[in-house]
Amino acid sequence: MVNGLIEEIKARVMGAEPVEVSYTEKGYHCALETSPDKLSGVVGFFDEKRFYLECLLCTDYTDYLELVYLFNTHLAPCRVKVALKIDPEHPVAPSIAAQYASAYWYEREIHEFYGVLFTGHPNMAYLFLHNGIDHYPMRKTKVPVPSEDQARLDSFKPGEEEDTFFINLGPQHPSTHGVLRVVLKMDGEYIERAEPVLGYLHRMHEKMAENRTYQQFLPNTGRMDYLGAMSFNLGYVLAVERLCAIPVPDRAKFVRIIATELNRICSHLLWVGAYLADLGALTPFLFVFDDREQILDVLEGVAGSRLTYCYFRFGGLYNDVDDEFIAGTRAFVKRMWSRFSLYEKLVTGNVIFINRTRGIGTIAKEQARKYGVSGPVLRSAGIACDLRKIESYSAYDGLEFDIPVGGHGDVLDTYKIRIAEMENSLRIIEQALAKLPGGPFMAEKVPKKLKPPRGDVYQVVETPRGELGIYIVSDESDGPFRMKWRVPSFSNLMIFPELAQGVLLADAVAILGSLDLVIPEIDR
Amino acid sequence: MGERGFHLEKEIIPVKFALVEKVLDLARANSLWPVTFGLACCAIEMMAAAMSRFDLDRFGAGVFRASPRQGDLMIVTGTVTKKMAPVLTTLYEQMPSPKWVIAMGNCAISGGPFVFEGQYNLVEGVDLLVPVDVYVPGCPPRPEALLEGFLKLEEKITGTRRFPRVESAW
Amino acid sequence: MDILNQFSPVLLFAVVAVLFTLIPIFIAYILAPRTKGANTLATYECGIAPYGSSWIRYSIAYYIYALIFIAFDVDILYLFPVALSYTRGGAMSEFYALLAFVLILALAVIYAWGKGVFTWKRKLSR
Repeated sequence: MVNGLIEEIKARVMGAEPVEVSYTEKGYHCALETSPDKLSGVVGFFDEKRFYLECLLCTDYTDYLELVYLFNTHLAPCRVKVALKIDPEHPVAPSIAAQYASAYWYEREIHEFYGVLFTGHPNMAYLFLHNGIDHYPMRKTKVPVPSEDQARLDSFKPGEEEDTFFINLGPQHPSTHGVLRVVLKMDGEYIERAEPVLGYLHRMHEKMAENRTYQQFLPNTGRMDYLGAMSFNLGYVLAVERLCAIPVPDRAKFVRIIATELNRICSHLLWVGAYLADLGALTPFLFVFDDREQILDVLEGVAGSRLTYCYFRFGGLYNDVDDEFIAGTRAFVKRMWSRFSLYEKLVTGNVIFINRTRGIGTIAKEQARKYGVSGPVLRSAGIACDLRKIESYSAYDGLEFDIPVGGHGDVLDTYKIRIAEMENSLRIIEQALAKLPGGPFMAEKVPKKLKPPRGDVYQVVETPRGELGIYIVSDESDGPFRMKWRVPSFSNLMIFPELAQGVLLADAVAILGSLDLVIPEIDR
Repeated sequence: MGERGFHLEKEIIPVKFALVEKVLDLARANSLWPVTFGLACCAIEMMAAAMSRFDLDRFGAGVFRASPRQGDLMIVTGTVTKKMAPVLTTLYEQMPSPKWVIAMGNCAISGGPFVFEGQYNLVEGVDLLVPVDVYVPGCPPRPEALLEGFLKLEEKITGTRRFPRVESAW
Repeated sequence: MDILNQFSPVLLFAVVAVLFTLIPIFIAYILAPRTKGANTLATYECGIAPYGSSWIRYSIAYYIYALIFIAFDVDILYLFPVALSYTRGGAMSEFYALLAFVLILALAVIYAWGKGVFTWKRKLSR
């Protein structure tokens, strides 16, 4: 597929010179340089070929700023990196928000962190940052914000209209999403417009990555998505192992899979409890926490912590699993299989639950592609894309499991998909336990000071929320030059303003809950 | 503005009877109603503390109120950023007196693992914004640590400790 | 005087009801501490200052819900003395009369249901 694509790009887009790149080294298949005037042609080509915009990021190389656009398809692995160099003194680039709706927020983020002005973008107000920060934080040198840009950033003014009022679904609310603020313009009980305001938990992870070594950044990964901390850990160690070409022994690969799948079950269980609490059913919350505690007991024995794990290391694991872990996992799997019928009786068949979720928040396939949605939300729209099958990383290609896909695209489908994913995770754990080889759990001779080659890598993993992408630029030092985290909740949240238009407030809360957002990973 | 960055509140207590105060303190300590203020990872451990295994309800504190008008304890669980700071002080002021604050987790105590040179968005410790009564360290602290924090707060309010102190084995 | 004797329990009830609510407020007023910060009396809206005016034209559907509630509240009010009178024994005819009363009021609900009051309608102009 990649070869055919390269020929097509050469033929169709004027002056583009795509280069094929080794996937095992870099994590993407094809690299392409472009210039500001040709950008919309290139993007239009990918739009026509049904690619989705995976990520849009910016790196400050001091002499120039580089914008990187990563495009990918849902059904076959074919990732293309499009790079655009711009002048650091007057950074201007054309906006592609009209072609890809997911670029709308990515460009706002790059604007407030780097100062790049995107021409043609409808709204360049603050997304993450606020008025107290007077410089562009992610630039390598301190660049103050000029006054006309400050005026542009401050320009968030929800337009008042007759017979409508504004309500804040504020940073502090009884649902357990975290600190997300959504400004709602209400017409009676219907929502006219929903505008999320982010950044209330912006903990500067990407800036910290530039000030730390690779090892020192490991604890941060668990704190970005605390519910799926193992999968964030996994993505990070896989990215660095890809960068430095560190081999991983088989035992470590299988243990990583077991730990990640246990964490996935943990995360989905908490989602079930929290989502039903949003809808008003407070009983399942207690049941899911009971199941979660069983998993946390098992994982605490090897990983040492209950929530923000830091279990994987470059080349393997922190310590080996013992018989207690294996016995505990087996007992948990046996217990969990019998719990699904309980959830079926308590929740899935409940007529109030079905009425509140059937037909709410329907996502079309084209919408899902334009917004770069991933994870169970994407699979509910009918697209069978699971990165564990498509880009089998670690040892997933030897294991047998299904990808549950929904037929309607509504919120009830996301619930059913997550329950089915939990069942599949149990299957994966059983197979991995059966296949668990002996041997070392850590690669030999992993240097304490890593010496990665110059260049960039991109690694994806499937977290419980969707596709996580980690882009690392290395300058041969022992810490990353730039690390960008493409988090699934950010692109999943982008679809919410469109889904919430004209919807009752209670239904909008149901839609927001079904996206399974974890705010610290959005705010990074 | 006071020197700590929030509007210092003046407390007015019209009448004080010693015995009635004792009973009132006992009542307040045994029915602390937390305001849901889960910011980050520690919120999940706070929820775990409120669930069946580490039951917070047996201390009278299981009723988590969404509105600060109905709560008297604010458990700050997670990192406080500069964007969130005015929201936190507003909610603190909207709580009726008497009120207490537990700072749960390293981020709420002193900024936690996110303090680095050149940081631009962190409030290093919630005690720069509101007066804190009990600090519960950990990243995140275990639910048992939060329960110990509750017992310490009860001791602070009433003067006596509900359960005897368990000596550690080390 | 006879009238006063007949209704003195009602008067006592009213006085006790008022005192029942006022005494705890008074006790709380003299015993509880009070603090006042800058934002204590501000409207609670998840910690953010409310934006926009609240004096707008509300949707009529809210009023209709309130009206239906009032109608049935008055209904219940009429049923209270009926409940008290059951202690002296009753005949079936009294029960039928009561049933007719309740059914006539239920017609109001059925009318509202048929008119679509219980589904939330959008404004036609939007």
